[in-house]
Amino acid sequence: MPLHKNIQSFDSIHSVTVRAVILFSLIVHIICPILADEPLSFEKDIRPIFRAHCFDCHGATDELEGGLDLRLVRFIAKGGDSGPAIEIDDPNASLLIDRIASGEMPPGDSRVSEQELATLRTWIEQGAKTLREEPETIESGLGITPEERDFWAYKPVESLSDQELREKVSDEITTNLLDKQFILETVEQILERKDQVPSEQASNQYLREELIRSGLDQLIAKEASRDTLIRRAYADLIGMPPSYQEMEGWRNMQDADWYSRMLDELLASPHYGERWGRHWLDVAGYSDSEGYTNNDTIRPWAWKYRDWVIHALNRDQPFDQFITEQLAGDELMGPLEGDLTTEQIELLTATGFLRMAADGTGSGANTPEARNQVIADTLKIVGTSLLGLSIQCAQCHDHRYDPIPQQDYYAIRAIFEPAMNWQKWKAPNERRQSLYTQANREAAAMVEQEAQVIAKQKQEELDRYMADALTKELERQPEDQRAALQAAYQTPAGERNPEQVDLLKRYPSVNITPGNLYQYIPESKTKLEEFDKRINEVRSKKPEEQFVRALTESSEAPPETKLFHRGDYQQPKQTVLPHALQITCPEDNLTTFEAVNEKIPSTGRRLGFAKWITSPEHPLFSRVIANRIWLHHFGLGIVTTPADFGKLGSRPSHPKLLDWVANEFRRNNWSLKNLHRTIMQSRLYRQIRGVPVDPALVNEATDLSAAAKVLLRDYRYSFSELIRLDAEAVRDSILKVSGTLDDSIGGKPINIKEDETGSVVVDGPSGRRSLYIQSRRTKPVSILQTFDAPVMETNCEIRVNSTVATQSLLMLNGEFVLNQAAALANRVADEAKPIPAENLQSTPNVPEPKKSHWSYGFGQFDQTTNRIKNFQPLNHWTGNQWQAGQALPDADNGWVLLNRNGGHPDSPARSVIRRWRSPVSGTAKIEGTLSHGSPNGDGVRGRIVSDRHGLLGSWEIKEGGTATPVKQVMVEAGDSIDFVTESMESNTSDSFNWIVTIKINEGASSQLTAKSDRDFSGPEDSVDLIPGQIQRAWEIVYQRSPSHEELNQSMQFIGDQIRIANASSTFDSETSTVRQCVTNLCQMLLSSNEFLYVE
Amino acid sequence: MSNNSSQPSFAENRRQFLRHNSLGIGGLALAWMLNQNEATAKTKLLPKNRQSFDLAPKTPPKPATAKAMISLFQHGGPSHMDLTDPKPELTKFNGTEYQGEVGYSFVNEASKTLMGSPWKFQKHGQCGTEISELLPHTSTIVDDICLIRSMHTGANGHEVSIRYFHGGIPGVLGRPHMASWLLYALGCETQNLPAYMVLTDPGGPPVDSTNNWSSGFMPALYQGTVLRPKEPRILNLNAPAHLQGIPQQQNLAFLNSINQRHAEQFSNNSELQARIASYELAAKMQIAATDALDINQESKYTHEMYGLDRDETREYGTRCLIARRLVERGVRFVQLFLNGQPWDNHSNIGTGLPSICKKTDQPSAALVKDLKQRGMLDEVIVHWGGEIGRLPVTQNQGAPEKHGRDHNGQGFSIWLAGGGIRPGMIHGATDEFGHKAVDNIVTPNDYQATLMHLFGIDINDLIFLHNGQEQVLSAGRSANVVEPILA
Repeated sequence: MPLHKNIQSFDSIHSVTVRAVILFSLIVHIICPILADEPLSFEKDIRPIFRAHCFDCHGATDELEGGLDLRLVRFIAKGGDSGPAIEIDDPNASLLIDRIASGEMPPGDSRVSEQELATLRTWIEQGAKTLREEPETIESGLGITPEERDFWAYKPVESLSDQELREKVSDEITTNLLDKQFILETVEQILERKDQVPSEQASNQYLREELIRSGLDQLIAKEASRDTLIRRAYADLIGMPPSYQEMEGWRNMQDADWYSRMLDELLASPHYGERWGRHWLDVAGYSDSEGYTNNDTIRPWAWKYRDWVIHALNRDQPFDQFITEQLAGDELMGPLEGDLTTEQIELLTATGFLRMAADGTGSGANTPEARNQVIADTLKIVGTSLLGLSIQCAQCHDHRYDPIPQQDYYAIRAIFEPAMNWQKWKAPNERRQSLYTQANREAAAMVEQEAQVIAKQKQEELDRYMADALTKELERQPEDQRAALQAAYQTPAGERNPEQVDLLKRYPSVNITPGNLYQYIPESKTKLEEFDKRINEVRSKKPEEQFVRALTESSEAPPETKLFHRGDYQQPKQTVLPHALQITCPEDNLTTFEAVNEKIPSTGRRLGFAKWITSPEHPLFSRVIANRIWLHHFGLGIVTTPADFGKLGSRPSHPKLLDWVANEFRRNNWSLKNLHRTIMQSRLYRQIRGVPVDPALVNEATDLSAAAKVLLRDYRYSFSELIRLDAEAVRDSILKVSGTLDDSIGGKPINIKEDETGSVVVDGPSGRRSLYIQSRRTKPVSILQTFDAPVMETNCEIRVNSTVATQSLLMLNGEFVLNQAAALANRVADEAKPIPAENLQSTPNVPEPKKSHWSYGFGQFDQTTNRIKNFQPLNHWTGNQWQAGQALPDADNGWVLLNRNGGHPDSPARSVIRRWRSPVSGTAKIEGTLSHGSPNGDGVRGRIVSDRHGLLGSWEIKEGGTATPVKQVMVEAGDSIDFVTESMESNTSDSFNWIVTIKINEGASSQLTAKSDRDFSGPEDSVDLIPGQIQRAWEIVYQRSPSHEELNQSMQFIGDQIRIANASSTFDSETSTVRQCVTNLCQMLLSSNEFLYVE
Repeated sequence: MSNNSSQPSFAENRRQFLRHNSLGIGGLALAWMLNQNEATAKTKLLPKNRQSFDLAPKTPPKPATAKAMISLFQHGGPSHMDLTDPKPELTKFNGTEYQGEVGYSFVNEASKTLMGSPWKFQKHGQCGTEISELLPHTSTIVDDICLIRSMHTGANGHEVSIRYFHGGIPGVLGRPHMASWLLYALGCETQNLPAYMVLTDPGGPPVDSTNNWSSGFMPALYQGTVLRPKEPRILNLNAPAHLQGIPQQQNLAFLNSINQRHAEQFSNNSELQARIASYELAAKMQIAATDALDINQESKYTHEMYGLDRDETREYGTRCLIARRLVERGVRFVQLFLNGQPWDNHSNIGTGLPSICKKTDQPSAALVKDLKQRGMLDEVIVHWGGEIGRLPVTQNQGAPEKHGRDHNGQGFSIWLAGGGIRPGMIHGATDEFGHKAVDNIVTPNDYQATLMHLFGIDINDLIFLHNGQEQVLSAGRSANVVEPILA
C-alpha cells in the first residue's frame, strides 16, 4: 500500500520516536540486512549487537569476564575459559547462542532480542564472515570502526555550491536556493524509490529530467494564503498573533516585497528575542530554582542569563560567538582590575549557560554525589544542545550504540573540570559574581555599622528577658530546689554534673531557651521581632547588591580529571586529558585542547572547545543548530530527534538539505536572523502545509509519464499540517488579544503562588509574557504545565504536545481564561463599530434582555412625607461601580457611589439609593446586613422605604454590622422598595456594605428572590451593538471578519443566551446580560482551534 | 492494516506499525524499537523509566484485594489512651509521678504527673475489643476493623509525622503522596472523575496545608484534586455559577460548531478532532462529578446513618458519604481532612476531645457499615487515624479542667478496615501507660508497604525515576508488610 496512508493514520500520535520512524521509513528506506542477499558481516551486523549487550565485560576493558573477548572473530572462535564461543558447523551448539538463548547472558535486566539472536545465528550459519581481514593484535578498548565512521552525522558537512544548484534546477521552477536543494534531493529520493513502481522502462535519467522539467513545481504545494503567511510568521518569530491593524496593514500592502518587509519588521521586534530565547532556554535547561533537593531553593539571579539570551538574539549576535561566550565568556573577558566593566559583566552573564543544571550543593546536598551530578547534568546539556549526542551514556561505560568511548566522555569532562572541580567545590552562593563596585561596598559597610548597634541592643534585651523568665519560673518551683536549679541551669550544658543533669530533667520547665522563651513571656516575641525589623530596615538602605550566576575558573592548578570506573567517583582510574570526541575528528588527527593556556589566567580549555565546535571542520554543531532552527519553523526537524544525531536518533529526511542549511548559516556569518529569512523566504516554508500533491493536478499533467505520476502522488513532505501554540504562546496570545499584555522586556521573574487548591498561579494580575514567570522545578505554573511547558529536570530537548481534557477544563472554567475573556469582551465593546442595518438583513433576531429590577441613584429621604424626594439616577458606570461622574468626588454631586456590595453617600441630600421595583404582587420579606468598617467618621444610617407604605425600617451603624430585617410587607407589581444610605453629621469614611435579599411569596409556588449583590450590574448594552461586537471580536481574535454564516451563527448564539437569561430568575453574572453573552462568545473564540493552532 | 474506525491503543498501533513497515527501517533501529516495546509490554514490574504518564487503568503486578482507599485523616494526634487503648495501670497511678523519660513539645507546661483516662472503656462485638465511651459508634464496628495499637513515628512534631505517613520520610517535603504512587502504578478505573480526591474541611485547611496532597516530584497528573468543602466543590471542573447548565451547554455547542467548520478545511485532521473530543470529555467529567456529589440521590436511611440529620455530624457525614459515592464511581483514592488539628488536645481535653469525637465518630463508623452493606468493603480500604498520639502525663495549664496532653510519636493507635484487612482484631500494644509502642511496632513505612501490598504492589518494586535517581515510596527505609493483619 502507498506509504502516505500510514502517515495519515498516525497523525494523532505525537510521539517523537514514532514520527522519527515514519519519516525515516518513508525517506531513507534501507533494506533490513537479514533479508538482503549480501551475507551478514561481523563489522556491520554483529558488532553493534555486541556493543549494545556484551562488550562491557567482553572487550571494552582489559578485564575480560571468563577470558572471553568478542572484539574480533578470531578471538570469538578461540573463545574464553569455557571454550570456543561459536561452532560454524552447528550454530545452535555455539556457546554464544546457547548462553544468550538461555537468558544466562547478558546478566541483569537487559535482553538480546529475538531478532538480534536470529541475526547472530544466521551470521554463524553463513560462516561468521568479516568484511576485512582481521589484524593480529588490537589496542585496548573498542576503538572506532570504519563502519561507525561511515555514519552520516560524522561525515564532514558538505553541500552543493550555488552554481551547481543553479545548473541542476532551473530558475524557471524556483529562484530560491533552499527550494532548489530541496527539489533536487527530493527528486533523487523519488528516483531511488522508483523500483517500487512499474517504471515503464523509463531510465533514471529520463525520469529525472521529466520530473524537473515538467511537473516538479507541483511537488511543492501551492503557496498559503496571505493571511496564513502573516499569522505563521508572527507565531514563528514573536510567538503572538498580529493585531487586526497589523494584519490589515500587511494584508492590504500592494508592494511586491511586503513579505520580506514583514519579516524584517518582526525580526527587528524586541519580542523576537523573547520567542527564540525561550527555545534556547529549553535546551539550556533554564530554571529559577536549584532543584535536586526538596528545598528547590530559588536562584535569585538566573534571570540575568535569561535576559542576556534575549538581548543577544535581538542584536543578532553571530551564533558562534553566542555559543563561545556561553561556554567561555570568563576566558574572554581579560584581567580583572577594579570594578567590572559592562562588557565583562555581559561575558560573565553568558556563562550562566553552564550553571543551569540542577544543583543541590547549596541547599542541603553538598555531597560528592550531588557535585558530580551537577557536572554530569552540565555535560548532558552541552552534549544534547551543541553536539546532538547523548554523550552522558558514556559516563559509566563505552556508549552502547554510538562510537563514544568512555575515555571520550572524561576528555570532555576535563574541559569543564577546572571550573567545576568536585573536590574543591563552591556552592552556588560562594561562586556567584557580585556586581558591587568599590563605592557600593563602602556605602554598605557604613550601613552595616548602624545595624550592628541595634543588634547589640537586641542581645541585651534578650538577656534581660531570659533572666526574667528564669526568675519567675524558679519561683514556681519548690523553694529548696531553686538555688540548685539556678546553678544547674546557668552551668553550660556540657559542663553540668550528673546531679545537675538529673535535676533539670525532673524540672523540665526550667529549660528555658531563646527558642521557647515566648512560652514564658509571650510579649518577648514581638519585642524582639521589632529589633529584627529595625535591623532589616537599616540594612535595606544598603545599595542593592546584584549578582550574576557565572562560571569561572580558580587560579589554582587545574585538577586532574580521572576516568571513573563504572561512573563511580570512588573508583578513579587513569588521568584523562581534554580532547574532542574522537568520532568528530579525522581518524589520524585528534583535536586536543591545551591543558593550560599561558596567555590567559584560566586554562583556556573551554575557549578551545568553543573554537573547535564552531569551526567548519566540526561535523555536528552546525547541523545540530540548523536542525533546531528548522524544527521551530516547521514543527518537525529534518532530523526529528534534535538532541540525538546518533544511531538511536532518526536519520535526516533530507541530509543534503540539512547540510545546505548548516553551510548557509555559517556562510552568513552565523546570523540567525539571516537564516530565518532564508528559510521563511523559501516556497517550502510558504506553501500550504500537510497537503499531499494534489492528485488531480498530477493526473492533468499530460506530459508526465504514468510512472512519474505514481511517484508524485505518493509524495508528501511530512511536516505538520497545523502546529498548536506552545504553552507560553497560548497564554501570551490570550493576553495580547484581550489587551492586558504588559510587553516590557526582561527583568526579575514574576512571582508565583499556590492558590487554595495547591495549583500554581501567577501572583497578582501580571500581564507579563510567560517566559518571565518564575520557573521553579517543583512548582510548575499550572496553565503552562497543562499545555506541555517543560518541568526542568535537566533540560528539555523537544517539547511534547498533548491533547487532554484538563486543557479543555482550564479553557472552559479556569479563572485566568474567564478573566481574560471578560477583558476581551470589554475591549470589544470599546472598539466595536456599528454595522449598517442594510448589512444585517436576514440575521437572526436577538431579543432585548430582561430589564433589571434594580436601579441606582441618589436623593433624599423626606421625613415629613416619609418618602424619597429628588431621586436622580447615577449615570456613570466605571466597570464595577455606579457614580455621578467620571471622577470622584464629582464636581456637582460629591462622593456618591454604589457598587456590588455597598457604596458611599455624600450629604444627607445626596443619600445613595438602591432601588428595586417589584415585577409581581405579593408578600415581601427582606433580609440583609448593613455594615460600616472604618473606625473614623461618625458612621451611616440605612433606611428601607416603600413608595406605597413609607419607611419600613431605619438603622444606624458605625464600625460594625447590623441586620436590617423587614419581616413582611405587601407589594403590588410596579411598587418600589428603596435602600437608602445617608451620612450622619460628617460624610468622611462613610463607605458601607449593604447586601440585601428580597423574597416574595416565600414558600409559595410563585416565589421570587432578588439579591442586591447577585443582581448588581452595569448599564445594559444595547442589542443593536451586538453585530458590531461580534465583528470586532472576530477581528481581534482571528484577525479577520466573520463570514456571513459565522455572524449569523454568533447572533443566534447570543440570542439564545439572552433568552435563557431572560427565562432565569438567577442569571448570576458579574456584568450586564449582553456583556456576559459577548464574554462567553469571546471565551469560546479563545478556546477554539482556529486560535490555538497555526497553519 | 490499521483501520481508522476501530482505534487500537497507542502501543498496539506502534507495534503493528513497526512490524508492517520493517522494510523501511534500518535493522538495528527496528530491533531496538521492537525490543523496547516488548520490554514494556511484558514487564512484570511497574513502570520503570516511563516517559509519558497517564491515568489509564493498569493491571496490578500481583493479585490485589483492594481497588480503592478512603483515608479519614485525624489531624493533631488522637489521644489513644482515652479512645482506643485502655490503660488500667495509668488509671491506677493517676496523679503520681511518671518514672520514665518523656520528650515534651511544650516545655513550660511540662509535667511528669500521670493522668488516667477519665472515660470508661468496654468490650464490644464478638472480638471483644475495648473502646472508650467517647466512641459509641466506632464501638459498633469493631468486628469489621483492625485496630493497630502500636504505631510509632519516633517524632513528636505534627508535620514531621504527617509527611512520614504521606510521603515516606519523616519531615521531608516535596515527595509524592502515597496516593500519587498508586495512580502512577495503577491509573484509575474512571476517566470521568479525578483519580485522587481530597475532601477538605469548611473550617479551613489542615495543618501543613496543600503539602498534604502534593505529587512531589511526580507529574501534576498524580496530585490530589481538592474537593472544596462548599460549592463549587471542584475548581475548573465545575463551571462558574453564571455559566452552569444551559449557558455552558450553549457555549460548548457554539465552540463545537466553529471548531467543526475550522476542521473541514483540514480534511478532518485527527489532532483537531482529538481536541474537539477533549471538550466533550471535559463536559462529561462535569456531569459525572455533579452526579457523584449529589447526595440527594441517597435515601433518608443513609442520610441518617451518616448523621446528616444532626448539626454536629452533618458536615463530616456529608463528606464521608461523598467519599463513598466517589469510590463507587471508580475513584482510586479519597482522603478527608479536618480544619487545623482538632485532635491536638494540649488543654481542656475534658471538653475538646468529646467535641471532636462527636463530629467524627458516627460518620466514620457509618462509612464502614455502608460499604459493608453494599458489598464494597471487600475492595475498599478505610483508614482512620492521626499522625501521632498523646502522652500519658498531664500538660499543666493551671486548673485541672484546663489540663491536656502533649504530643507523643512513640506509640499510638489507628484503625484499618476492608480491602483485604483482617477484621475484628487488635495488632500490637503500647506499654502499661500507653507511652511507647512495645509490641509489634508498626511504622508509617510498614503501613505503606501493607497498603501497597493490598493493591498488588511490592513497595520496593514501584520505582520512579527522579533526577536520574530511582525513587521508591519508602525511600529505601525498612518497610515491611504487616502480615498478621492481612485477611
